[in-house]
Amino acid sequence: MIGSMLLDHYRTAKHSLERARARTLLTISGISIGVASITTILALSGGISSIVTKQVDSVGENLAVVRPLTQQASLADLNNPIAQNAYTTSPLTEDDLATIRSLPETELAAPLMTISASIRFNDERPTYSTLVATSPELAEINQLELQDGQFIDSVTLQNTAVIGAQLSIDLFGTEQSIGRTFQIRGQTFTVIGILTRINQPVNFNAIDFDYAAIIGFDSGKLFNNSVAQVQQINILTKPGTNMQQYKQTLTKELARRHDNQQDSIVLVGKEIAESNSQFFDLITVSFSSIAGIALFVGGIGIMNIMLVGISERTREIGLRKAVGASNGTIMMQFIIESLIISILGGLMGYILGYFVAFVISMFIPYDPLLSWEIAAIAAGLSIGVGALFGLYPAWRAARKDPIESLRRYH
Amino acid sequence: MSKTTTPVIELKDLKRRFGVGDAEHYALDGVDLTVQKGEFIAIMGPSGCGKTTLLNIIGLLDRPTDGEYVLDGKNVEDVSNARHAKVRARQIGFVFQNFNLVERLNVIENVALPLTYSGLSHLKRLERASAMLKNFHLGEREYYMPWQLSGGQTQRVAIARALVNDPSIILADEPTGNLDSKSSHVIMEELNEVHKKGNTIIMVTHNPNLTTYASRVITMLDGKIDSDTQTITTEEKAEKKKPTSKRPLNKATSVSKPKKAKATKAKKKTTTKKAKGATK
Repeated sequence: MIGSMLLDHYRTAKHSLERARARTLLTISGISIGVASITTILALSGGISSIVTKQVDSVGENLAVVRPLTQQASLADLNNPIAQNAYTTSPLTEDDLATIRSLPETELAAPLMTISASIRFNDERPTYSTLVATSPELAEINQLELQDGQFIDSVTLQNTAVIGAQLSIDLFGTEQSIGRTFQIRGQTFTVIGILTRINQPVNFNAIDFDYAAIIGFDSGKLFNNSVAQVQQINILTKPGTNMQQYKQTLTKELARRHDNQQDSIVLVGKEIAESNSQFFDLITVSFSSIAGIALFVGGIGIMNIMLVGISERTREIGLRKAVGASNGTIMMQFIIESLIISILGGLMGYILGYFVAFVISMFIPYDPLLSWEIAAIAAGLSIGVGALFGLYPAWRAARKDPIESLRRYH
Repeated sequence: MSKTTTPVIELKDLKRRFGVGDAEHYALDGVDLTVQKGEFIAIMGPSGCGKTTLLNIIGLLDRPTDGEYVLDGKNVEDVSNARHAKVRARQIGFVFQNFNLVERLNVIENVALPLTYSGLSHLKRLERASAMLKNFHLGEREYYMPWQLSGGQTQRVAIARALVNDPSIILADEPTGNLDSKSSHVIMEELNEVHKKGNTIIMVTHNPNLTTYASRVITMLDGKIDSDTQTITTEEKAEKKKPTSKRPLNKATSVSKPKKAKATKAKKKTTTKKAKGATK
């Protein structure tokens, strides 16, 4: 009974929407633009998070990361997209590293120290490169693989470096660059290893290893007046460690050593991926709110067109009431009509949104995320908008006086 | 044929007020009326005497300000609007002066419209609408659009629509008001046929000629019933138990017009022929 009633409503709604085809299409496109922008944003930002999450997953559950505690990302960072801590002194010290290593659960720990220095070969200077000073443990923690040569270790000379595959090409024009030399701040370094290309520009280290030159931690300190400037410490714990407990112990220990100042943060498991994409979260939130406005405007479009349609069909509403339609039935009929508009808009928007996302992804280094959550959000939003903005017109239609309505000519 | 023990409609001291303050006036000012099953009532009266308001209240489109309305033994006073809608869907059929077909629906969909609200399947509804249209000799017009029909045809579609849910009462508000006299008589013949099948019809009209089809003529004045006359003209009505109004009516002055009735009886027979010729 209810099913057949809904079917009737659907039939009626379809009929009346088809009659005002141009109007319906315009309203649908209004909604679809809103849903499309939200889908695009979610697909792209989801793409980033999923990359980092996958990396963390592949590294394993025994990964922990210590970072300096920086201010939460704010809107100001949109103007200043360089990492917040780029020019500040990190509170993490070599002593902290020693502390971490001394904990019984710690298997391996490696500091990451990014140094701002230009890398050049003769007068060739690659457009993009990162100089990282770290310890030999990094290779194992981050599962970095070498396609050639060896990773830095405790016995390699100070003036040696391991470079990413792409950096090798940018510097020397080839991936076969073992033994070649290049300059960092006037000092000459010799290439002893080439990293296998991993193509992960976005990762929890905030370093693109394909473009990185990795030098020993002690060499790195020489570029910084012999002071360690640790941006991040990557930790691999022993198998079977309770990560939450480890996090607590380490947090407490680090705080104790820093005069009880909470100036660093320990991240385990999924948290690692989350906090790394803070900046992207910010972009996601701001763009989503813009998309939300687009959707809101689309919703107003629905309301507008529904009100027009209802006023055009006043007599029909009066007649339907006279032949037995209750207020509820009339209300339902018009809500279903607005739902049809918004669901069609949502469907179109979802497809359009992914189309745009894939086009954009051709210019950025990652792919949009395809997930049922995004589909559910798109569906939920369009149904929600249809129901919400259809409610008032439907209510207006339902409470029309049948006598007045039937008297009207137009 | 039918049990006349419980009246279909019983109105007691019915009042309907419009406006407030200075503009306040009573469109209905104490109407008492009892309608038995199978009656064909014509309501006459000058404009603004409350005929349409009465019809709207009987049709449950409007609620009385005061008084009692018993429909099929049930007091509809304290029944919710949703229940009213249900009663309209099952027991009441409307015929309007301006036909009120839905312009964007074709003939058969228009006729099937009231059945939408009675829970029948789409196919069943169309079948019943189609059968009803055949009764009105509109079988070939099923898929015409309303604007492709003549005025008389349109009103016959409207009557078919009013009858499709097999209502116990048919309310017609000047059903022939927008038609020429020839079409008017065709429509009246149709209504007469409907009446002969045992339906109760209440019709508002301005045209005194049409009252000859009615079994009872009521004239209204200033929101009150001015006169109430039983006119038994045809043999069918004679067979039937004579419907009697149980309550004394306001000014139950029987306006006798047997002469006129007889005169129009002959006329009616001729128009019947005419009508049949017209519909074929």
